[in-house]
Formats: sequence, C-alpha cells, structure tokens
Amino acid sequence: MTKSTQKHTTGWLMAFPALMFVAVFSLYPAMDSFLLSLYSDFPGPERSFAGFGHYAELLQDPVAHQAFIVTLGFVLLSTTLELLLGTGIALVVHERFRGLGWVRAAVLIPWAIPTVVAAQMWRFLLNDQYGAVNAILFGDRVEAYVPWLADPWMAFGAIVLADVWKTSSFAGLLVLAGLQLIPEETHDAARVDGATAWQRFRHITLPMLKPALLTALLFRTIDAFRVFDLVFVMTQGGPGDATQVIQFYGYKTLFTEGRVGYGTTISVTVFVAMAILSLFYVRTVGSKLLQREPA
Amino acid sequence: MKGLHAAGSIATPSPLPRDSPLAAGVFAAALLFNVPFAHCGDLEAEPPGASPVTLHFVTWKADHPRAWDEAIQRFEQVHPHIRIQREIAPHSSTAYHDLLTQKLRNRDVSLDLFFMDVIWPAEFAAAGWALPLDDYFSGDERKKFLPATIASGIYRQRIYGVPSRIDSGMLYYRKDLLEQYGFSPPSTWNELARQAQTILKAERTVPIPLRGYSGQFKQYEGLVCDMLEFVVSHNGSFLTDDGRRSNLTATESLQAVRFVREQIIQRLATPAALTYQESESLAVFLQGNAVFHRNWPYAWGLANDPRHSKVAGKVGVTTLPRFSEGRSTAALGGWLYGISAYSRHPDEAWAFIEFMASPETQKHFAIHASLAPSRLALYADPDVLHANPQYKDLLPVFQTARPRPRTPVYPVVSHILQRYFSRVLAFPETDIREEAQEADRRINRVLALLRDS
Repeated sequence: MTKSTQKHTTGWLMAFPALMFVAVFSLYPAMDSFLLSLYSDFPGPERSFAGFGHYAELLQDPVAHQAFIVTLGFVLLSTTLELLLGTGIALVVHERFRGLGWVRAAVLIPWAIPTVVAAQMWRFLLNDQYGAVNAILFGDRVEAYVPWLADPWMAFGAIVLADVWKTSSFAGLLVLAGLQLIPEETHDAARVDGATAWQRFRHITLPMLKPALLTALLFRTIDAFRVFDLVFVMTQGGPGDATQVIQFYGYKTLFTEGRVGYGTTISVTVFVAMAILSLFYVRTVGSKLLQREPA
Repeated sequence: MKGLHAAGSIATPSPLPRDSPLAAGVFAAALLFNVPFAHCGDLEAEPPGASPVTLHFVTWKADHPRAWDEAIQRFEQVHPHIRIQREIAPHSSTAYHDLLTQKLRNRDVSLDLFFMDVIWPAEFAAAGWALPLDDYFSGDERKKFLPATIASGIYRQRIYGVPSRIDSGMLYYRKDLLEQYGFSPPSTWNELARQAQTILKAERTVPIPLRGYSGQFKQYEGLVCDMLEFVVSHNGSFLTDDGRRSNLTATESLQAVRFVREQIIQRLATPAALTYQESESLAVFLQGNAVFHRNWPYAWGLANDPRHSKVAGKVGVTTLPRFSEGRSTAALGGWLYGISAYSRHPDEAWAFIEFMASPETQKHFAIHASLAPSRLALYADPDVLHANPQYKDLLPVFQTARPRPRTPVYPVVSHILQRYFSRVLAFPETDIREEAQEADRRINRVLALLRDS
C-alpha cells in the first residue's frame, strides 16, 4: 500500500461518521419523503403507486398557489425589512460607547426567544380586548381598539412584524461581523481626504459589507421560506387563508388531513425550491466570498 | 355499578386477546372458581396478585380537571389491578387529532384509550385505527343513549365509540336585558337581529361597546359548526341528502351565508369574532359585553359562576334561532371513548370505558363539570336537573342535534369548508356564489375519489 492511498483511506475513515450522520439524518429522510410523495392518498390506508400525479395536482391547486404567493410576499417583505433594520443595528453596536455590552446583549434577546413563545407573545400583544398594542395606542378609548388579527391584510402584516422583530438582530449580527472586517485605516484615510460620513458609508462601508449582506440575505430568505410557527400560533392561516404559508398548508395536508402523499409532495417541492435558491446563492455569493479570501 | 358492568358483557362475552397473559389468567381463574365469565373484569373474580395493567389514555386538558381526577381515582379504586396513565394532549380538537392520528399511524402499542371527536369515527374506522366495539357494546345498552350520539360512533354498521357526553350548539342570552326591553328569547335569526339592534341602540356604548352577538368565526373546526347551524336552519345543507355531493351553491345555503356576513359579522358581532374560538367568544359574554352568545353546554357553569362571570344569574339559555322557513338546528359535538386497534389490553380498556360512561360517572360530570350526559335517563335525574335546570328545556335540542358530514375524508372536507366560510366572512367583497362553487368543486372531487375505491 502506497503512502498516498493509505492517506486516502484514513481520510475516508475519519470522514465516515460524519458521512453516515448526513446519510441517516438528511439523505434518507429526504429520499423517503420523495418516495412517499409518489404514492396515492386514497383510498384508505393501502397506498398505490401514483407516479408524479401529486406534482401535477400541486401545479393546478389554487390553494397551494395562494399559499405560495403569501409565502413569497412574506419572504420579500420580511427579509428586506430585516436586512435594513439589521444593518442599522449593526452600525449602532459597531460604534464604541458606554454600555455597549448591554446594548449588544439586549439586541439579541428577541432572537434568543423560541419562536413559538415569541409568537404567543405577539398574539397576546395584538389581542383585541387586552392587548398591549391597543392599550398603548388608544389607552382608555376601548371602543377604538383594533382587532389586528381579524383583518386579512393586518394579520399578514402582524406575521411579518413578528418575524422582523424576532430576527432583525440575527441579520444584524451577521452584518456586524462584516463591519468588523473593514480596516479602520480605510476610514481614517477617507477622513483625511475630507469625505463626509455619508460618503464614507456609501463608498467604503457598503461595498466592503456586500459579502456579509449577501450572507445575511441567504440565511434570512431560506429561513423565511420555512416560516411555520408564527402562523401556527398567531393565526392558524386565517382569516380566509390570508396568512396561510406553504409550510402550514403542507402541515395541514399531511398531519390533519392525513394525506401523506400530497403533504410530502408539498414538502419536497419546497425542499427543491430551497435547494435551487441555495445553489444560486452559493454560486453568486459564494464565489464573491472566495474572491475576498486571499486579501 | 356492578349491575351495569355485567349487563354490558353478558350479552356478548368479550373476546379474549390471545397475546394477553393476564386475560388468560383471569379466564382460567374464572373457570376455576366457577364464576360466570361475564364477571371477569370484576374485583371478586380476580385471583389475588393479578399482575397490574397500565392503560395509556390520551386525553385533553379538561375544563374541570378535578372532576376528571376524581372519576379516574374512583375507577382505580374499583379496579385495583388497572392503572390509568393519562397523557394530556392539546384541547383543540384539530391539534388533538394531529397528535393522536400520528400515534395511530405509527401503530403505537403503548396507546390503549382515546377520545374521538364525533367527526372522526368514520376516518378512524376506515383506517383500521379504532377497535370495533360491537362485541362489548350491546344493542340494549346502546338504546339507553341519545340516538344522535350513538349514530356518530357508527361506520358501515359497526360501532367504534361510546359517547362520553353530548355537545350541541345553544343560544345563551342576557335574561336581564331581554326582560328590560320586554323581549322573549328570539325564535328566528331575524328576530334576534332586531332585538339586538334595539338593545344596542339604547344601551351604553362606552367604554366597552356592547355587542349583539358573540360566536366562533375563526378559521378552524368550530367555524364549521357555527355555520352548519345557520345553513341548516335555512333548509340548506353542506352535502346533498345522499352525502355524495356538495350542496353549498343551493340557494338556501347561499342565503344563510349571506345573512351571517351581512347581519352577524358586519352588524352584530365585533370584527374580532373572526379570531374567536369558544373561549374568546365566551369571555366577551362573561364580561357582560354581548347580548347573545352561541356556545356548547359547558358554558352554562362558567356563565353562572361569579368567580368567572360578571353576568352570573342574569343568563338564559335556549335553542338556537331558525330562519322563518326553517327549523332550529344545533350542531352535534361531543367526544366518544374509543379503544386503539393496537392496544394489548382491550378488555381492561373496555372496563374503563364502561365505568366512565356509566350513569353514575356521567352524573358526576353533569353536576361537577356541566357536561351534558349522553344517557337519556339522566335527564330525569333530580340531582342532575338541580345542578342544570336548563337541561329540561334542552333535551329536545340534544335529541335533534345535527351531525357534520360523516365521511372518512372529513378533515379534508372540513378544511375546504373552513376556507370557504372564512374567506366570505373576512373578505366582504368576495362573491359568495363564486366561492361556494369553488368549494363545491373541490369537495365533489374528494368525495368522488373516495367512491372509486
């Protein structure tokens, strides 16, 4: 046995546990879901092979289309707001001031709270009778209290708001990491050249922050696409399916209706969409990140 | 208790599960002591030192937990070799269903007993999850229950559930307000609307506005019940009489939905009703902020308990109104005891069900938890009537309570109905007929798939 093949074998051996882990806990469930999605749901418990029938059904399902549009709207709105707010947060906590440690910790609290708990909290805050939001906005004028979650558009806005409140700081954390990579000397040089604060931000900070922003965007889009718990707790998809996101529709189909085939079809479709999106991001963002590496 | 206990099993001896050493042992002992086999679940027939059995019972967090603790303790005293291990699942019917069906789909042998909402037996039977109880639950015994509750446990001529109680929609109202304005409880929906409007105009509107009607209009299972009551009391229906097609586009069905949108949601209820399940809508009524309230029987106890209610003693309850051309309709609800088809201890599980559904235990629940009994005879019981004087008038409601569609694909049908109703109520600009057509199409497709089998 030559030295290089020996090295090769050792490499495989050492990677083996990790590979097994991925195979058992990621690859197998994904493949099994795919297989399940090829079987019919009716009649009864015996399943028959249905090929890609469920996928054809999904293409023509108006409820799924609506859920997909709601999800897209949620992803666009929440990630945009989170990146904007996150950048703001990062710029603030990047400065040195008294009590910085406290501010940084406080900013991360929403992110550290489990989503289900945060969602329940928002449901209470937005309650039409005893919610804090109404109390703050209208005080004793109980007759003016707004049932936020009863209006389709406001309910959708509430889900976005809860997500932005909860995860902006996470986006901020990623942006902050990017900010700290920007050498102080660049800013000093610009100051010497007489650049204003805005010019420094626009022409130095922002361009050098791009990789961090793109990373944050990648994480947030993928996460936002999988939104489920906020909807489950706050609205159950209502009113009138206005907040029914694709994952919640998949959940209802799979767990409540017991339609394993169609439910997994929805999951697999979301999975594939995510995979494509991730690949796209890794291609564009990843290559930029790698280019930066040597510097 | 003992008499009932034997009666249930004499008619048809319980089948012996081959894999249960305990049951076999008890059987042998029964022969040895020449005790009639029917008594094999009884205390006296047990050989000393019978190995204990633990039954796993998936239940929900009850509104009156103490009443349940007491009933189960009493069962364990009567059957010292059986322990009941409770697993508390969510109280929401849908969340409970999701958890339970997942266990059943996995053929979980550690699950023996469960509740079935009245809409599930068809699904559970078709999937083979619920044990048929025909051998345990004799025809004579069934006759002692309210017929609607028994019917809800039957699928294709076999019975899968024993009714723990009956639930049906009813109209709670503010006795004091109605008297003050010289009204008697409304018999039609239009009368209800008129009375409510009159009272609202004259009563205070600040700080908390008084509402005419408080019901359950969130997008969830309860919405189906509330809407059923409007639609059927207008001679409409969800499915055609043969149960093969959706009937939402029938004029009667459409008009009832329009009434709910224009009269109830847009005029009498708070817009927040679109987020209300039972507890939120009840809270409005208990705070004295609604004239009329639709709920199940359990609300009676809470509404008259001064610790929970500002309107204790000022509450009346009656049958739900109807439309002038229709009949008053109450949605049938309630929970049935069922045994898992994968249980290793069906005989012991049956002993538990028999105890819990017995007249004594149901009486206990009627008095201490305002659960309306499923046994007819209890409606003549002085103690039950003393605690729940309203039962006397409501018995006819219970006897005519209307089931939701019975089909193994009920969860699918329900989701389509929930979407339809919630959309037309939450989006006032939607065309009700178009939405109904879409729901009809989707329901018909699902029902057709089932027929092909």
